[in-house]
Amino acid sequence: MAAFAALTPSVLAAQEHAPAGAPPGLLTVDGGLMFWTLIVFIAIFTILAKFAFPAILGAVQAREAALVKAIEEAKADREAAAKLLADHKAQIDAARGDAQKLIADGRQTAEAMRSTMLEETRKQQSDLLERAKRDIETEKTAAIADLRREAVTLAIAAAGKVIEKNLDDAQNKKLVEGYLSSLN
Amino acid sequence: MHSRFSRLFRFIALAAVAAALLAPADVVAQAGEEHAAQAADTVGGKKKDYIMPHVLNSDHTYLPWLGHGLEKEIALPHWEPIHIGPITLDLSPTKHVVMLLIASTLLVIVMLVAAKGAQRAHAEGRPTRGLAAAIEAMVLYLRNDVILPNVGHNGEKFVPFCLTAFFLILFCNLLGLIPYMGTATGNISVTATLALLSFIMIEVAGMRALGAGYINTIVWWPHDLPVSVKLPVTLIMTPVEILGKFTKPFALAMRLFANMTAGHIAVLALIGMVFTFAQLLNYGVGSWVAALIPVGLSTAIMGLEVFVAFLQSFIFMLLTAVFIGQIRESHH
Repeated sequence: MAAFAALTPSVLAAQEHAPAGAPPGLLTVDGGLMFWTLIVFIAIFTILAKFAFPAILGAVQAREAALVKAIEEAKADREAAAKLLADHKAQIDAARGDAQKLIADGRQTAEAMRSTMLEETRKQQSDLLERAKRDIETEKTAAIADLRREAVTLAIAAAGKVIEKNLDDAQNKKLVEGYLSSLN
Repeated sequence: MHSRFSRLFRFIALAAVAAALLAPADVVAQAGEEHAAQAADTVGGKKKDYIMPHVLNSDHTYLPWLGHGLEKEIALPHWEPIHIGPITLDLSPTKHVVMLLIASTLLVIVMLVAAKGAQRAHAEGRPTRGLAAAIEAMVLYLRNDVILPNVGHNGEKFVPFCLTAFFLILFCNLLGLIPYMGTATGNISVTATLALLSFIMIEVAGMRALGAGYINTIVWWPHDLPVSVKLPVTLIMTPVEILGKFTKPFALAMRLFANMTAGHIAVLALIGMVFTFAQLLNYGVGSWVAALIPVGLSTAIMGLEVFVAFLQSFIFMLLTAVFIGQIRESHH
């Protein structure tokens, strides 16, 4: 029990209560020993923390740091790759759109050209037809006129020969022409 | 084994004198006391205590000696106590101070040799060998699997402290198992100082991690309760929280001290039984046979002590790491 009595909360108290020369108990707190323990611990801590642990743990810490760095780099690489992939995808999409647009444009152009050409051809054809018709008409008219004139000449010549004996030329011609115009 | 025989020789040489009759103060040695008292020699009416002087601190230490008693007592110098204000400090190097210095010197030598070996091995890109490999394995295991997981995020700065505590305690524990040496960690002053350092470490870690929130580890003030509930609970819980802060280092100090002391007392008490049996059997042949029982038992206890030396240093460090982790993560 005396030993427990010696277990006093502080070094100071322990030293005050412990009578000089009394045998130390199991639970006697010894300020001097505490001081030495403190000094020894701090000294060891300083030495080991400075010279021993970094050397022993250095390789592991370096490996850990390298690992962290590698992971981060891999992450960055993956992000970059994903970005690149997205870019490429976008480019391909754009290219596909362009191509489709080109094809559509081409088709449209061709369509337009075809219809224009068709129209032109048709127009030319109709023009040609029209001109031919017109020519034919003109020719026909001219031929009719020619024919009529020839017929008049022929008829006059024939009639002249027929009625040479009874009528003078002027009177007869008038007569025939009057007849012919009535035919129209 | 060597240790056990040396202890045995030491005690055979002193067989004529009685084993310890413990003072009532030395309650821890109750088991040993009983046996030791039976072996007490009453020649000259003087009863000598062999157990407690071994465990307690003293102003002398022993060296191996081939002469009488197989030991030579070395008186340590006594210095005048120094006075700092009202405090009187006797800084005389006692037995445990000497043991502390021996243990720390050995520790520094071992660690520096290991560090050099590890450094060389790393530089050459090969695995470490021998002592360096052993120390590296321990350091790496403690750091990666014990300290860092318990201390929590960014625990790197607590690793040197925990490792230093572990190795210093381990070396002191193991040094105590060597004959003629003493166990500094079996002294409450030493364990109390180490626990005090742990306490400071824990609280500083708490202050740094929590900032102003550190006050919540002292004053219990939950924000999600009505004041009518909060106030009485706080009045009850705050003393508990404050008490909890001091019970942790107190338990650390007591656990280490008691474990180291108890083992030595058990071994010494068992060896004391050798002489008790010898006396009871009138120093005949039977006493030699009977001696085998306590000798076998004390051998087993010494084996256990080697394990306990590692275990207790591990527990001290583990609990320090756990407490640091707890306070750093305590957000009320």
